[in-house]
Amino acid sequence: MLPDTLTMSIQLTLAARYLWGRKLRTLLTTLAIIFGVLVIFGMNILLPTMLSAFQTSLLNASGQVDVLITHKTGETFAPRLINRIQDIRGVRAVSGSLERTINIPANFYRSGTVGAVSLIGIEPRAAQQIRDYTLAQGRFLQNNDTNVAVITGALADTLKLKLGDDLTLPTVQGAVKLKIIGIRQTLTMPGNEPVWVTLSEAQKLLNLPNRINTIEVKLDTLDAAQRDAITNAIAETAGDDYQLGGLASGSEFLASLQSAQLAFNGLGFLALFMGGFIIFNTFRTVVAERRHDIGMLRAIGASRRTIIGLILVEGILQGVLGTAIGIGLGYLAGAGIVAAVSGLFQDFLHITLGAPVIEPMLLVVTIVLGVGVTLFSGLMPALSASRVPPLEALRPSVAQVETVRRISKATIAGILLIVFAGASLFTHNISIVALGGLCFLIGLVLLAPALVKPIARVFGGLVAVVFAREGTADLARGNLTRQPSRAAITASATMIGLAILVAAVGVLMSLRGGIDNVLEKSLGSDYLLLPPALGTWGSDLGADENLANRLRAVYGVRAVSTTRFAATSVGDKQVNLLGIDPETFPQVSGLNFSEGDSRTAFEQLAQGRAIILNGVGAAQYRLHAGDSVKLASPEGEQTYQVVGVANDFINTKISTAYISQANLKRDFHKTEDVLIQIDLAPNADVAQVEARFQEIVARYPQFKLISGSAYVQEMRQTFNAAFSFYYILLGFLALPSLIAILNTLAIGVIERTREIGMLRAIGATRRQVRRTILAEAILLAATGTAFGILAGLYLGYVIVLGIGASGMFPLEYSFPFAGALAAVAVGLLFGVIAALIPARQAAQMDIIHALRYE
Amino acid sequence: MSVRHAVLGLLAQRPRHGYELRAAFEAFVGGRENWEVNPAQIYATLTRLEESGLVREHGMAQASGPEKRIYSITRQGKDALREWFSTAIEREHQRDEFFIKLMLCLATGQADPYKLIQTQRAKLYQDLHNITVQRTRANPQAELARILLYDKAIMYLEADLRWMDLVQARLDEIMRQPMPEPDLKPRGRPRKMQD
Amino acid sequence: MSLVQTQDLTKIYGSGETAVTALDRVNVKIDAGEFVAVMGPSGCGKSTLLHLLGGLDRPTSGEVLIEGASLGKLSDDKLTELRRRKIGFVFQFFNLIPVLDAVENAALPVMLDGVNASKAKTQARDWLERVGLQNRLHSRPDQLSGGQQQRVAIARALVAEPALVLADEPTGNLDSRAADEIAGLLRQVAEAWGRSVVMVTHDPRIAAYADRIIFLKDGTIVDETRLHTKDGQDAEMVLGKMKVLAE
Repeated sequence: MLPDTLTMSIQLTLAARYLWGRKLRTLLTTLAIIFGVLVIFGMNILLPTMLSAFQTSLLNASGQVDVLITHKTGETFAPRLINRIQDIRGVRAVSGSLERTINIPANFYRSGTVGAVSLIGIEPRAAQQIRDYTLAQGRFLQNNDTNVAVITGALADTLKLKLGDDLTLPTVQGAVKLKIIGIRQTLTMPGNEPVWVTLSEAQKLLNLPNRINTIEVKLDTLDAAQRDAITNAIAETAGDDYQLGGLASGSEFLASLQSAQLAFNGLGFLALFMGGFIIFNTFRTVVAERRHDIGMLRAIGASRRTIIGLILVEGILQGVLGTAIGIGLGYLAGAGIVAAVSGLFQDFLHITLGAPVIEPMLLVVTIVLGVGVTLFSGLMPALSASRVPPLEALRPSVAQVETVRRISKATIAGILLIVFAGASLFTHNISIVALGGLCFLIGLVLLAPALVKPIARVFGGLVAVVFAREGTADLARGNLTRQPSRAAITASATMIGLAILVAAVGVLMSLRGGIDNVLEKSLGSDYLLLPPALGTWGSDLGADENLANRLRAVYGVRAVSTTRFAATSVGDKQVNLLGIDPETFPQVSGLNFSEGDSRTAFEQLAQGRAIILNGVGAAQYRLHAGDSVKLASPEGEQTYQVVGVANDFINTKISTAYISQANLKRDFHKTEDVLIQIDLAPNADVAQVEARFQEIVARYPQFKLISGSAYVQEMRQTFNAAFSFYYILLGFLALPSLIAILNTLAIGVIERTREIGMLRAIGATRRQVRRTILAEAILLAATGTAFGILAGLYLGYVIVLGIGASGMFPLEYSFPFAGALAAVAVGLLFGVIAALIPARQAAQMDIIHALRYE
Repeated sequence: MSVRHAVLGLLAQRPRHGYELRAAFEAFVGGRENWEVNPAQIYATLTRLEESGLVREHGMAQASGPEKRIYSITRQGKDALREWFSTAIEREHQRDEFFIKLMLCLATGQADPYKLIQTQRAKLYQDLHNITVQRTRANPQAELARILLYDKAIMYLEADLRWMDLVQARLDEIMRQPMPEPDLKPRGRPRKMQD
Repeated sequence: MSLVQTQDLTKIYGSGETAVTALDRVNVKIDAGEFVAVMGPSGCGKSTLLHLLGGLDRPTSGEVLIEGASLGKLSDDKLTELRRRKIGFVFQFFNLIPVLDAVENAALPVMLDGVNASKAKTQARDWLERVGLQNRLHSRPDQLSGGQQQRVAIARALVAEPALVLADEPTGNLDSRAADEIAGLLRQVAEAWGRSVVMVTHDPRIAAYADRIIFLKDGTIVDETRLHTKDGQDAEMVLGKMKVLAE
C-alpha cells in the first residue's frame, strides 16, 4: 500500500508550484480566507480584552488573596458570614469590605481628569492581616478614623494632591471631602484607582449601613490539596447564594458586549462561508483545468488518495497561509480597535483597557475554522479529481461544455426548499420560519444554475443595447450559459453578500422605527437626571431620597419618578432589576407592553411581589405573564409573579426586570435613585424651574440634568452614529463577494485563454475583448444582484418577524428601498470593478502565447 | 538516365582514363552495391561518345605497365552536358510491377490478393527498416550526401506503404467493379445512333 | 515466457444497438526487450489495445497477463501500483506538469512510489542524461522543444525501471526530424536498455524502427510483420534496388 507520508513531499512540491504558478488566483482565494479569519479573530480579541479589563478593574485592589467571597448577585450582604468563615479550620484571617466603583462626572476635578475611582471600605486591622499595605507616605487607616482616606501615588499625581490635602468624592449624600492621611505605591494593574477608607466610613458614604460586599480570606497552608479542601469548606459554609472568586457586578455591560460579539461572529462566519464558496469554485476550476495532469499522474501510478491529497494539500496550504495572515491582521485589527476605543472606554465606562487578550481556545477555534473551511470546500473538487480516469491524459483537450439537463435533481431540491421557505412564513413559529430562511438561501444556490440561462438572456438583451452592434454581449452571454454552474456559483457569492446587505438594511430600518417608538415613550419626560453611565447601572452612584424630594418640592413640578437598581440572577443568568414607583412611573415615563397591559401591570406591581420582564429577559427564561420566577437576593431566593412583558429604551438589549421600589428595598436593600425623570405642570415657568433644578443638582455632581426632548434628540444622533457603523460593517461584508466575482472572472479568463487568443487572431480588437469580459461581469453581477435583493428582502422580513414573534422587541417590517437601491449600485459597481483587471489582462494577451496555452 | 551523361560530367571535371571514370562514378553513388557499372559499359559509352565527337581521346604512354588512354570533353560535349543540365529528368510514374501483379491476381484468381498485399507490405517494411537502420548509422557530419539518398528511398517506401494501405482499403470495392477490358476497335460499320 | 500476453482480449464500448467492438479476441505476445509497433487505420482499436495493456482501462472479456499475472484480478490500487512499477507511459501530448522542471517531472513516478526526493531526483537526472538532456535538467516544459519534452517524458517512463514502456503516438506532435530522434530513442530503449516497447503509430516511417509491426483493422489483427535487422551490406543492396526503381 502506498506510504502516504512519503508521497506528501511530491504533493507539497506540486501544490506549492501550482499555487505559485497562478499567483493572482492564489492571492484572491487566500484573501477570502484571510478576511473571514480576520473578522472572527479580531472581533473575538475585543471581548476578552474588555472582560479582562473588567476583572482587573474589579480585582486590582485585591492583589494576592487566597479566597474572595461575593454574593451571587454582586449585591451587598450582612457581615455575619465573616464569623462563620473565621471558625473554619485552616483559615488564618478574614476581612470584610465594601467596595464600590464611583463614576466621576467630567470636569469634577479642576486639577486633573479621573474617570472613576474604586471606593474600598476596609477594617484596617483585619485587612492588614490579609495583605500588605506598605505606604510610600503617611500612615495607614485606623479603626476609628473618620473623614480620612488612603490613595495611590498615581491618583495623587493626577489630581496634584499632597498628604494632608482633601479629596472630594461624589456620594449619595452629595459631595464629601476626605483628608488624605497616606499614599500607597502606584499600582501597576490597569483599572480604576482605589481610594481606601474605613468600612464604617464607606457604609456611611454609600448609605449601606452594616453591609459589606466582599470577604477576603487568607489560608494557613500552601499545600494545594489542603487549600482545595479548605476552599471547599468555605464554599459549603457560604452556601449557594455566594460565590468564590471575582465580583459579578458589571456583568450587565458584558451582556451587551456579548450580543455585539455574537453579531461580529455572525459576520465572520458569513465571511468564511463566502470564503469557502470561493475556494470551492477555485478548486472546481483547478480540477477542470488539470484533468490532463491528473490523468497523467493516475496513468503513471498515482493512487486516488494521492490525487485527493494533492488537491487537499493545496487547500491546506492556502488555508494555513490565509489563517496565519488572517490571525495576524485580526490581531492588528483587534489591537487597533482596542487602542481606538480605549479612550472612549476610559471616558464613558471608566474602565482602563489593557493589552489585547488572546484566549488559547480562540486561537484553536480560529485555526480549526479557517483551515477547516478551506479543507471542507476543497473536498468535493478533490473527490471529483480522484475520479478523473487515467485515460484523460491520452485525450486531446477539448473545451468542456456542460451538458445541461433540463431539470436536474438540484433544481427540484431548490424549488422544494424555496416552497418550504415560503410556506414556513404562514406557520408564525419562529424556529420554523428561521429554518425556512436558511432553506431559502440554500434553495436559491441550488436553483441558480437553472436560472442563470434565462436571466443571462434577459440581462444580455439589456447589455446588448449598451454595447450595440459589436456582438460582445452575445459572446458574454454565451460564455455564461455554456457553463451555468460556474456562473451560478459566482452569482451565488454575490447573491449571499447582497442578500445579507439588503436583509440587514431591512432589519436595521425596522429596528430604527421600533426604537423611535420606544424612545418617545420611555424617555418622553420633560426633564431627566442622568447618571454618568447609562445602562451600566451597577457602577453608577445614585442619590438618596432627599434629591427626589427636593425636586418634588419645586414649584411647577407635576411628578417625579425615580428608578433604582439592583443586580440579581435567575438561575445562573444575570438580570438587571430596576425599582420603580408604580404610581409615579406611568405618569412620567412608560413601557411598551407586549404582554399584559400597562394599567393592571403597574397596579399589580404595587401589591405583593410582582415583576415586569423586558423582552430579552422573557425570551431568555421563556417566561410569560402569569408565570412565577425566582430571583436571587441577599435575603435568599424570592418568588415573584410575572405580570407583564414590556420594554423601555435604555435596557432593550439587556435582560431587565421591573419591580416596585418597596420590594427592592425589602429584598435587595437598595434605596439609591440612579435615574430621575421629571414632568412639569402645564403652566410651569420653565426657565425658573430649570434654574431651580440646576441649583439642586449642583450638590449631586454625579447627575446630569437634561431636558427630555434634548435627550431624545441626542439619542437619535447616537443611534445614527451607531447605524453608520453598522453600515460600514456591511460594506466590509460585501468585500468577499467582490473577491468572489473577481476570482470567478479571473478564472474565466484563464480558462478561455485559448479562445481569447483565437478571437484576437481572427480579428477581434483589444477593445472588443475587453468589452466581452466586461459584459460578462455585468451579466454575472446583475444576476447575483437580482437574486441577492430577492433573498435579502425575504431574509430581512423573516428576521424582523422573528424578533417581533420572540417578543424581544416590538417591530414592524419597513421595506428597505434604500438598501435595495444600494444593492443594485453596489452589485453593478462591483461587477465592473471586478472585471477591470481580467478584462485588461485578456485584452493584452499575446495572441501566439494564448493560442499555445495548454 | 544513362551512364552517358555521367561520363560526360566526370570528364568535364577533368580528363580521366576509363578505370578512373568507373571509380569516380561509384564514389558518387556510394558504392558498387548501390549502382554497379561494369568496365565494358564504360568503354562502350566512351567509344559512342567519341564517335559523336563529344569526347576526345589522347593516347598516353605510361612509364611502366600498359599504355592508358586518357579522355577529355570536347566543345560539343560541353554543349550536350549543358543541354542535359537544363532539362528535367523524365520519370515513368505509372509503370508499377506490383500493380500489374495485383491486377493479374484479380483477373486470374490464382492467388489471394490480400496475401499479395501482405507479402509486398512486409517486404516494403523490411526494406524501410533496413534503410532506417543504415540511415541512423550514417554520420551526418560527413555523409550527408548519402543520407540524402537514404531519405529519398525512405520517402519512396513510405509512399508505397501508404499506397498499399489505400489498395487494401479499396480492394473490396475494386473486386466488385468490372475488370478493365481492352477497348477493342469495332470492326465493320459503326452502329447507328438511333434505336 | 512472454513479458506481456493477451488472451482473447475484447473490448466493447456501449451496449445494445449502439455497441461498438473496439477489440475482438485479440491475442498478442510481447517478449522482453522487443520493440513492437501497432498500426492500423483510425478506429481500428490500436489505442484501446494500448490502454488495456497498460491497465488504464478494463477489458470486456479476455485477459492481459503481465509476467504471467492477470490484470483483471487487480484492484484499482494494485493496478495503480503495477502502473507505477512495471509500466512506463509516453503520451502524444507529452503530458508534463507545467510547473515542474525536467528533473522533477522525470522523478514523478519514483516519488509517487515513496522514494525520497533526493534519491528520486538522482535517478531522474541519470535518465535525463541517458536520453541526451544533460544540459536541460532544470528547464521547465515551456522552455523545451517538443522533441525535448518527449525526451523528458521518456526519461519519466524509464525512471522507475519498468519492464514495459507504452507509447501512444509518441511522435504525433513532433516534426519529422524530432520524430526520428524519438523513434530512435525508443529503439534504444528496447535494444540497449532491454525494455519491451509497445508503440501505437500511424506513421510507417516511425513503425519501421520497430522489431515487429502488428496491423489492426476493425479490432482484429490482420497482419503481423517481423523485421530483421541485417548487416549493412543487405541495406545497401536494398538501396541499390531503390535506385533502380527510381530510374
